[in-house]
Order: sequence, then structure tokens, then C-alpha cells
Amino acid sequence: MAARPWRWLREDVWEIRFRRYVALLLAATLVAAAVWGGLRLAREDRSCATGVAHPKGSGDCVGVSTTAYDFGQPRFTATARAIDRENHRLKPGSYVTVALLLPFTTSAPASLNDTLHELQGAYLAQYQANHGSTGEFPQVRLVLANAGADGTYWPRVVDRLEEMSKGPDRLRAVTGIGQSTDNNKKAVRELTRRGIPVIGSSITADDLANGQGGKDPFPGLARVAPTNTDEARALASFAKPAADKALLVYDKPGDPYTRTLQDSFKRLMPGSPNPEQPFTPPADRTQEGTTSNQFRQITQLLCSTPKSTNTVLFAGRHTQLRQFINELGQRGCMDHRFTLLTGDEGSYLTGDSKLDRKALTGNLSVRYTALAHPDAWRKGTVATGGSASDTATLDELVARGKQAPVGPIGPIDLDDGQLIVAYDALRLAVQGLREATPSGATTPPLADVVNEWAFIKGQQRVNGASGWICLDVHGNPYDKAVPIVELTPSGGARFVRIAWPEGKPPAAACLPRA
Amino acid sequence: MDRRLHGRGSLFDTDPPGLAARLVGLRPYQLRSSPYEHDGDIPFVVFAGGRGLGKSALLTELRAAYQGHTPVALIDGEEPQFAGPPPERPGEAWSPLAQALTTVAEQLAGPVKGARRISFPRLASGLLAVAAGGWSDQDMPRMRQEAERILLLNDSRSFLDGFAGRWATKVVAKLVATMSHTGPVVEPIIEATLEAFSEGISPNHRRARRAATWYRGYPNAGGNPKLGLILLSGHFRADGGSRAHAERHLVRALLADLDDAYAGIVQRSHRLGRPVVLVDNVHAPAGRNFMECVLRDRTDGIRDQVVFFAALRGYALPNSPLRPSGGTSMALRNASRRTLTEVARTTGWEPGASPSSRALLVSLPPLTPDDTLHIVGAVCRGLTLPPQLPHATHRLTGGSPLGIALLAESARQNLPRGADSLGALLTGEVAVREDRDGRPAYQELLDRLVPGGRLDELTVLATAHDRESALALARDRLPDGFGAAGVLRLEEQLSEEGWPAAAGQFVGDPFLRALLLLRLHHLDADHAEWRAAHRALIDHYGERDTTDAARYRLHHDLALGTVEFAVTHLRDSFPETDVGQWLSSLLFIASAPYYHAHDPEGRDFDGGHDHRTAVALGHTDAAQQAPEGVDTVLHLRVRRLLHAVWQLTDPLVLPDPQVADRMRFDLEQLSNLRPETTALLWRASRDWPSDALAGRPLRIPRDDEDRGHG
Repeated sequence: MAARPWRWLREDVWEIRFRRYVALLLAATLVAAAVWGGLRLAREDRSCATGVAHPKGSGDCVGVSTTAYDFGQPRFTATARAIDRENHRLKPGSYVTVALLLPFTTSAPASLNDTLHELQGAYLAQYQANHGSTGEFPQVRLVLANAGADGTYWPRVVDRLEEMSKGPDRLRAVTGIGQSTDNNKKAVRELTRRGIPVIGSSITADDLANGQGGKDPFPGLARVAPTNTDEARALASFAKPAADKALLVYDKPGDPYTRTLQDSFKRLMPGSPNPEQPFTPPADRTQEGTTSNQFRQITQLLCSTPKSTNTVLFAGRHTQLRQFINELGQRGCMDHRFTLLTGDEGSYLTGDSKLDRKALTGNLSVRYTALAHPDAWRKGTVATGGSASDTATLDELVARGKQAPVGPIGPIDLDDGQLIVAYDALRLAVQGLREATPSGATTPPLADVVNEWAFIKGQQRVNGASGWICLDVHGNPYDKAVPIVELTPSGGARFVRIAWPEGKPPAAACLPRA
Repeated sequence: MDRRLHGRGSLFDTDPPGLAARLVGLRPYQLRSSPYEHDGDIPFVVFAGGRGLGKSALLTELRAAYQGHTPVALIDGEEPQFAGPPPERPGEAWSPLAQALTTVAEQLAGPVKGARRISFPRLASGLLAVAAGGWSDQDMPRMRQEAERILLLNDSRSFLDGFAGRWATKVVAKLVATMSHTGPVVEPIIEATLEAFSEGISPNHRRARRAATWYRGYPNAGGNPKLGLILLSGHFRADGGSRAHAERHLVRALLADLDDAYAGIVQRSHRLGRPVVLVDNVHAPAGRNFMECVLRDRTDGIRDQVVFFAALRGYALPNSPLRPSGGTSMALRNASRRTLTEVARTTGWEPGASPSSRALLVSLPPLTPDDTLHIVGAVCRGLTLPPQLPHATHRLTGGSPLGIALLAESARQNLPRGADSLGALLTGEVAVREDRDGRPAYQELLDRLVPGGRLDELTVLATAHDRESALALARDRLPDGFGAAGVLRLEEQLSEEGWPAAAGQFVGDPFLRALLLLRLHHLDADHAEWRAAHRALIDHYGERDTTDAARYRLHHDLALGTVEFAVTHLRDSFPETDVGQWLSSLLFIASAPYYHAHDPEGRDFDGGHDHRTAVALGHTDAAQQAPEGVDTVLHLRVRRLLHAVWQLTDPLVLPDPQVADRMRFDLEQLSNLRPETTALLWRASRDWPSDALAGRPLRIPRDDEDRGHG
């Protein structure tokens, strides 16, 4: 039977030249269509949404999304839609674009929570900026940039962002950034090298900041969060740990964040009699690995210290922190009281189900510097450095964000402070963009934005929900309020008090030291 | 490929390509191109041969092989429609060729895969001009009918043009309108026709307009197509040489229309190969005039791309005295002559200067024993055949495709009914088609081999051996009116139809003769005609006293069942006669027909039992008494030998292996009696049995052949 179609092709089509040509033409068209379709299909395969695609060999959707795409994470959907709605509302020519660079495709629950909160905070700030009573220009279009769960694909995202800064998108700033990882650092270095202003929301690492050692490796970088050094100083001013009462546990080899913290802690306790205890986690700090084992041994060591040793300074990431706390909950010397002090990584533990909460009931309190805390200004005890009214503005926005027209943007949790700093970061960005916009124009030149950060101080400071943001010449916040919070056995974070890097709140003028 | 004819591979082969594929440029039965052998000039192939050689079957098969793949037309010159004008149509507006051209064009317009219908505007306008010569306003329906048929030739019938024939109807209406007033008919018709063609109401008017101007080139037309057509019509009506002239232009118009259908890149990209025109019985006026026109045009350098296959009865086109056009007939004298097997791979044909050299005369060889085996096997699938039947069939028919096919059919129908010899198959009834009643096979065969009268006379004359004996027989047995002229006419007819002549037989072809003799035998219930004819010949030869006359006489005696004279003659002549001659006498006498047993008076007496075998095997020897003074052993041996040869060479019975063995023994024994020519008899004793069993004719071994001949 197979011979019949073949014979038909051979005799009734091929032999009659006219039919042969028509058939060849048809076949060529079909092949072309198939090739085109195949290529298109193949390309379609790589694409996740407009501007977002899988890089080769990766399941991550990487790129800059200008639509309501949620990077496959249902928890982002509502906010992404709200942002898209807000973006579409903008009139052409009336806006500049700000990219929110965050690991949207991360799978770690803690990072996901952080990312969601930052996304929500950024959106609320965008909404506030675009709906201000004064109708200031330019308005802000928010796009979501993802360089992969661990930021591996930063080069292509940076390239894309640069294109957008030169094209009709009029991208003028990148905010977000997230953790102080190596990839993020490289991304920030490259972005700033190409003249794109960056506003870090929750980066605290010292080496991801300008002005360290008098150098400005990231021209145009502004930060909302204090440096690790400042945090450590604030922490130190809070705890005033005596050298002989503290023991340092640190990540070896560590990353920029842990090293900063480690260095700051070391400076606080020169000549401490207690040995420093390193631990070595897996290269990917979000993995569990066998680090618990090391912590058990460190715990035993702690138990063998004199009772006077009551403070543990921990320079490590949150996964390791959790493991350490869980081990401490099992320590042999439950009667030996310890206070564990650490940096802002402690905030991740508030939503961490793997944390052994019982450990917090056994003579162990875990205190850490938060980036922000919703209760920080409620009591209104200080006159400068921040105010309850600034918090109230955000609270109101948050309340409105539960339904239209602002929201919905999904469940909101302010406790980890990420929403607050992201909100503040975008407000800082908006402040800079608007200040840099020449009168009569709608768009600030990129270079002017880069240079604007140095002027955000004094009366031009940003009254953030996390406290005043007065930038020094390096773009770092000066004497930023650092809330010290304590992890509660119920899984929340209890505000303890505000600590100040300078030991006291800034003056009302809020002018950093030169 | 079950349809393929047996033994005609030289024509139908595809790989390597046979004659048809090389000329047409298309493989038979397949829509696949094949390389051309002749690029410019194409030979006009004429298949030649006598009746029953399968020429018509060949042409029919060619049509089947190419139908639907390339335009094909098949006409038979002897068809009644070409014999004369239909009633009411005046002869001055009709000729066999014009009729043939209409038929051919109609068939060429048949559907072909991938290509549109061919239209014939030139031919149509020419034919219309010719037909108009026979129209008058008295006979409108006829005129309407004729005009419509001709105009449909110009119908390309593309789906774009709407319904078939709408254009033709319109033009006919126009033509009728011009007829309404009295006066000359031809001119207004031509005028209206040309107008219709050139006015663009034709379906494919651009081509038609070009075609309408084609007759500008008619001699003396002076560039005016209308005048050309009027002249053509006039010439046609004038008959004689000028009609031939007009006919040539009509043929040329057909070929020009065909060329037009193949001209241009677009047209060629739709068509494969060349158009094919098949003309059966090309010796008949329609075919013959057609062929002559084509050959003359080709000689004059007017090329066409049409492949012609024609079938000619006999082997030469005689100078026809019937051709009225005076001096224009041709005899294919200079045609290249080949056998079919010779042209299997290449024709080797080169055109010469004369028209007839443009023809390629291909004679069809008889089928081989193997072909016979295949045909009988194919027809009688599922039947148990007597082992010698295919070979005996071949011996009887001499490879005639018609004979083999009909005998095979008869075997299929009659073997189950108990027929066991070829004679029984020939006399057995055969239904050629399922809807027809059965008739004896030999009658069916004779109807086709000797159609159209004179069969009765030929039946009687089949017993004759030469013109002299035939004349004697005619005098004795045929009506007075037949006479010598009748004999001579029959003789000429036989040779014209391609029947071979043979020494010692008035009807040279053994198969035809066997059939005629069978018919003679069955003419009446008591075989009176049969016996009378033989007796007449015995009397005729009895008056002469030569060795030959004796042989003829004994032959007929034997045919009447009288064995003794033959035995006596052979026995007595054996010691003195040259062995070769003696053997040849034996063969000739024993070639007498044997129709189921006769008593000494020539009457059937035992219902068809063949007693020759019993005699040949010596079963009757005891009852035989040799005459006084005669060598009994020799007598009996000669008697046995005569019966053996008679049985083994009888084309109507299957050779008996036992008889063959006994013949070998008897010949060996005889060879001992003639020591000086032992070799000859010995050779015969070796060759004859095997030849007889294989269905080959028995031959007289020659002295110089007595060694190494197998």
C-alpha cells in the first residue's frame, strides 16, 4: 500500500512539470513555514513573558519584565498586577522607569517572603509617588528585574537595563538588589560603572557601599540600610558587651556581609580572652549541609566557658543562625544564660518554620539589628531620626493596599521590615529623580541622578518609615536608626529599642560628618 | 502488468525502454518520461503481418498503455463509418479521411492527466468549410448536427469556460442565421466561422484568432484566410487530385493544432511525451490517405511531433488501382523493414528522400513456444493441462496469437468437459464473450482469419496443392461462376493478406489449412463434400504418372482413410528410392488430415476413436496379412511407421510418447536395411521422436547434417 502514494507522487506530481514546480513551491513554503514555526516555537520555549526568558541550561526566568508577569510565583501575582495596572495608567512621556532588581525566582521560603515584601513596599511607594496631592513629575513606572535565584545572570539583566536607560523606557534608577551576595555586588558595580543609579534597599554589607577606605567603587549607589559597620556600631552601643563576656562565632570564609559583621565585632572586643569560633557552611549559604554538627561542638565549647560569658556575637547567614539557635536549644548547660547578638539576617528567622522555637524559652534570647520595625516609632520617644507620623503614612497606605484601587497586593507583613525599607528605597529614588529633574523637563538626565544622592540630607532628607535618611557623600545613610529586636518564641520579632550608630539620634539638621 | 501482451516486450518494455517508450517518450502504463530515440524526425511505424498476428490487439494495447497519460486516438480504417458517407450527406462533402480526422481529433481531445483538453481550431474551421459544401437550407437539422460535432473540436472545455459546448451552440446559431437566405452557402458559412473564431467569443480566443489566420498560407489565398478556406472547400468538392490536395491541408491542420497544444513553456510543462495516433488497417482508404498525407508532409520538411503506429495487413502496401487521385498512391517501397525484435533497443531508422522512406515497417513475428506456454498457462490457471498441450498448440497455430488465445480459451472451457486433443478443442464450442452463445472454435477462428465471403470456396480449395490442382478442383467442385478467375483472385488475396505460400499447398499457412480442412470435413453430416473434394483430387492426380502425383494421390487416399496404397507404395519404393526422398514422401503422405476414424469407405465407424496409435504400436500386426511375396516384416514396419508419423505429425492430436518411442525403434530397424544411407535414417530415428514430442515439425535430415545435429 505504501507504493500507491509514492507512485502518485512520482507519476502524477513529479513527472508533470507544472505540478512538479507547484509541488516544489508548496513544499518549500511548507518547509520555510515549518522552520520558521520551529524556530519560533523554540524561541517561545525560552521565553517566559515579554522581556523574560530562560537562559540556556536554566529553569529561571531571567530578564526585565514590563508586564504583569509574576515569575511563576503565585504570591507575587496580585502585586505584579497592581504594578502593571499602575504602569498602564501612566501617560507616555510623563514617567521615568525604575527597575526593582530582586531574586524573583528564588525558591527559598525566607527569600521569597523578603522578595514579596520588598515588591509590595516598592509598589506602595510607586503608588504614593504617582498619586501625591502635588502631582509632581516625573511619575514612576516600575519594572521587575530578575537575574536568577542566585543572581547568576546579572550580566544580561544589566545589559538590558542599560538598553532601557537609553531607550524610550527612560530607565533612571535600579532599586532593590536584596542580599549582599557576590553576584549582586558585581551587578551593582557594573550598573554603576555604566552610570545607572542604584538604590540598595536591604544591602548592609560594607564592601557593597561607597566610602569604605575612602574609595567610591560604586558611583551613584545610594543605600537605605546602614552599613554592617554602622549596624555593628549600633549593636555595640546597645549591648556594650564587655570583651570578656562575649564570644565570636563567625562564617569562614564568609561573604561580604558576614566578613563585615565579623570585622565590626572584632573591633568591639580587642583582646577578648574567649577564642573566636569559625564554622564552614556549604558554598550556597541557603543549604543546610552538615554545619549543624559544627554548631553542636561550638555549643559544647560555649558550655565550658565561665558563667560570666553571656554574650555570643554571631557573624553568619540566617540558615546557619537558625541551625546554631536550634543547637543552642539542645545545649547541655541550659542554666547558662546567653544573649545572641547578630546582624539583620536575624530577621529571616521570623518566618522560618524550621526554627526550634523552644530554644528561645531556655535562657536564650536572640537579638539582632533589624532594617526596620513597624513598632520602632510608636512610642515617639525621640525627637529626631524618625517619627511616628512617617510610619503612620505607610500604615495608611498598607491599609488601602488591601483592596482597589491601590490593591489588592496580597497578605502584608511589616514585621521583617523588608516592606518598609523597600518603600523607603523607592521613596529615596523618587526624591532623587525629582530633585534631579530640571524645571520644565519631565525627565532627569542619568548623570544628574548619579550626583543627586549627595544632596539628600538636611531639609532634603527623606523622612522614611524606617527613620530619617540623610545620605553622606558616599550615598550611605548617616546615623540611621537601627531597631534592635528580639526573636520571640511565638515566631515574631519584639521590638526592643532603637540603637544609633553614632550612639545617639542625629541632630535635627541631619547633616552627616564630612 | 497482467494486461501486457505476451511476446511483445520489444514494444512495451520500460527498462530498457522498448520501441513505444522511445518514440512516445513515456513509459507504457506509467506516467513517467522516457528518453526519446528520435529527436527531430519520427518514423511512421507500420506493424505488418497477416491476419491473426495480433496487430489490432497491439494497437488496442498501445491505447490502453497511454490513455490518460498522453493524447491517444485509435481508428480502424475498415470501420463502417469510413466506408462511405452517411445517408443524406453528399459524397462531395465527405471523404474517409475527413471522417477519420474528425474521429482522431475527438479522441485526442480526451482527458489527459495534468493537461487541459486540446482544441483543434484549424482543423475545425477546415472541416467546417468542407462540410459546408454539402449543406443547403433544405436540411437544417443535419447541418446543425454536423456543425456542432465539428465545432466541439475547438472546445477546450476548461472549468473556466463554463459548460461544454456552449460556445459551439452559439456559433451554430450564428451559422444557421447565415443560411436563412438563399444563394451560395459556403462563403457565408466560412465568413461566419472565421468571425466566430476571431471575434473573441471563442473560449480561448487568443489561440483561436491565431488559428483563424492559419489558412492565409493556403496556395493562392493571397494572405486571406477566408479565401484560403473557400479554395479548400472548392478543392475538396472537386474530387480527384485536388481533393487529395485539400485533404493534405486538413491533415496539416490537425498536426498544427497538435503542435500548438505542445508549444510554449507553459503548455509543455503540463504535458509529457508526444501525442499518439493509432491507425488500424492502414491499407483501407481512410488510413492509407491519412498515412500518405503525413508521410508526404514529413518529406516536405513540415515536421510534427505525433507518434503514429499503424497496422498493415500483409507486408506491403500494393499499388492500389482503387486510389482515384491518380498517381499519388504509394507502396511503402522504400520503407525501412525490421522485425519487432530488431527494434527492441534501437530502430536504426534514418529518413530518406522518398515519402515511403519515412515509414518504418515492423513485421510481427509469431509467438514462441514459451509465449504459448505462458498464455495457455495464464488462461487455464487452475486446470490440469495435458503436458504436451502448449507445445502442440504452438505447433498447430504456428505461433498465431489469435489461434493461441482462442485455443487457450477453448481449453479453459472444454478441458473440463472431457476434450483431450486439439481437434476436440477446435470443434468444441467456445463462448468468446460471456454474453454470447458458444460456437465451434474453428468457426470462430475462420470468421476472423477469413472474413467477408469466399470462405466456402477457400474451404474446398484448401485441399488443393497448387494452382493447377486448385483449378481442377474448382472446375469439379465449385460453381461455374467462380472459375479460374476466382481461383486466381483467392490466390492473390491470400498473398495480399500476408498469408505465406508453401510448396505443395494451395493454402500455405498450415494453421489456416488445418482449420479449413476441419471445416470442410464438418460441412455436412456424412462428410460428402470432404470425400468428394479428395476424390476429385485423386482423380486429378490419377491422370498423371509422376512421383509427385503419386504422393498427392496417396495423401488424399490416406485422408479418406485408405492406408493400403500408401503402405504398398512406401514399402515397395523403400529399397530403391533415395532415403531422403523416401522420408519426404513418408512425411508428405502422412501429413494427410485424419478426422476421427473412417472406414474404408471414408465413413465414421467408431465414434472418434483414434486407431493410429494401436497400429503404430503394433497391436494390430497379428491380424495383418502381408500380400503374397512381400517381406512381411518390412510391410508391417512401414505400416507401423506410417501410422506413427501420421499420428505424431497430426497437428490436431497430442503426440503420444509411446508412439514416438516405437517410431524410433522402427526407424532404427529400417536403417539396418539400407546400410549405404544408414546415417540418414539413424539421424531421423534420433531427431523425429524428440521433435514430434516438442511440437516441432519433422525435418528430413540432410547427408551433411548427420553429425552433430541435435
